[in-house]
Amino acid sequence: MGATFIITLREAFEAALILGIIYTYLEKVGARDGVRYLTRGGVLGLLASVGMGIAVSYLSGPLLDVGPDLITIAVVFAAVALLTWHAWWMRQHARLIRGQVQNRIDEARTSNRLWVVGLIAFTAVFREGAETVLFLWGIMAQAGGGGWGSVVGGVAGIGCAAALGWAIFRGGRRLSLQHFFPVTTVFIMLLAAGLLSSGIARLQGIGLLPLSDPLWNTSWLLSDGSIAGGFLSGLVGYRSQPTLLEACAYVVYVVVVGLLLFARRTPVTVGLASASRS
Amino acid sequence: MKGYVALVALLVMAVGFVGAAVAADPELPLVLEKSRWQPDVIKVKAGVPFVLVITNKDKGPEELDMLTPRIEKVIPAGKTVRLKMPALKPGKYPFVGEYHSETAKATIVAE
Repeated sequence: MGATFIITLREAFEAALILGIIYTYLEKVGARDGVRYLTRGGVLGLLASVGMGIAVSYLSGPLLDVGPDLITIAVVFAAVALLTWHAWWMRQHARLIRGQVQNRIDEARTSNRLWVVGLIAFTAVFREGAETVLFLWGIMAQAGGGGWGSVVGGVAGIGCAAALGWAIFRGGRRLSLQHFFPVTTVFIMLLAAGLLSSGIARLQGIGLLPLSDPLWNTSWLLSDGSIAGGFLSGLVGYRSQPTLLEACAYVVYVVVVGLLLFARRTPVTVGLASASRS
Repeated sequence: MKGYVALVALLVMAVGFVGAAVAADPELPLVLEKSRWQPDVIKVKAGVPFVLVITNKDKGPEELDMLTPRIEKVIPAGKTVRLKMPALKPGKYPFVGEYHSETAKATIVAE
């Protein structure tokens, strides 16, 4: 029971985190339409996960050999792009709000882009969703005699992740706007950097990118399979044995996107920004 | 838009590459039965890509999970999956079945 709880909690944690942050964000900027898109995207992601789970169970041959991997990798990179875009968007809003035009968020521009929020929810849920569906399905199939504890554990893991997402939503609402935007932008940036490096790792795994030895090995300290390791992996992309390319992708992403998001200021605020940071 | 084009190009490349590679590489069988891998030590030649032909004889799906190189592959119940593996440097590469990680442990030894 404990093992299945940890597995589903870990799989669902990242999706819960992303959804929690974006729900809070949409509520903060008063974009009610976005909430609908986000929910729809999440539900579609769930349906697609079930569909993929069914498809994988009935597929065979080359489709089964490489199909799921390619879909997973495509979803990972799409999620990186979408999250980066979202972080950018949040920064723009943060500036507007700081410039005391809180009530003047451009409605047309906002609603024009809201479908992207739905896409983010879709990729967040679908990324680990199919795997979780297969996993739960599998333990149910094996549950015949006395295995129901595992099923309960698995469902409880997802429930627990959802509760965490909800807690983020509740907690995030209390944060002031000034704190909410930079904190969540950094969160999303690190999350996307972790996703990017995991995508690179998957490309190395299927032989599309050259493989190298791990740069370091911290599995003695924190294994990827533990609860804490799983949380850190979801939050900031922790890996106990990253390859050079994975680490480079992570660092380059954080530096480039970090600069794009945080260093671009109008001349007037440059002084203020650096003063407040020191 | 450019992103999508690049993504599609990458996917097409991936399909071509994986397809071409799967055709030629040596194949090694791996069976999952009663939540254990058989054999649990797989010897391969270092520097040569290979294909693991994995059969899941159990009633539930399993996910082969390797940290380095990072490989996650679901093998549905009763199915056989061909998993293309990259060329490995000499060394030991442990992996588990994520859904039964206490029992389904094995190692690839490249030499």
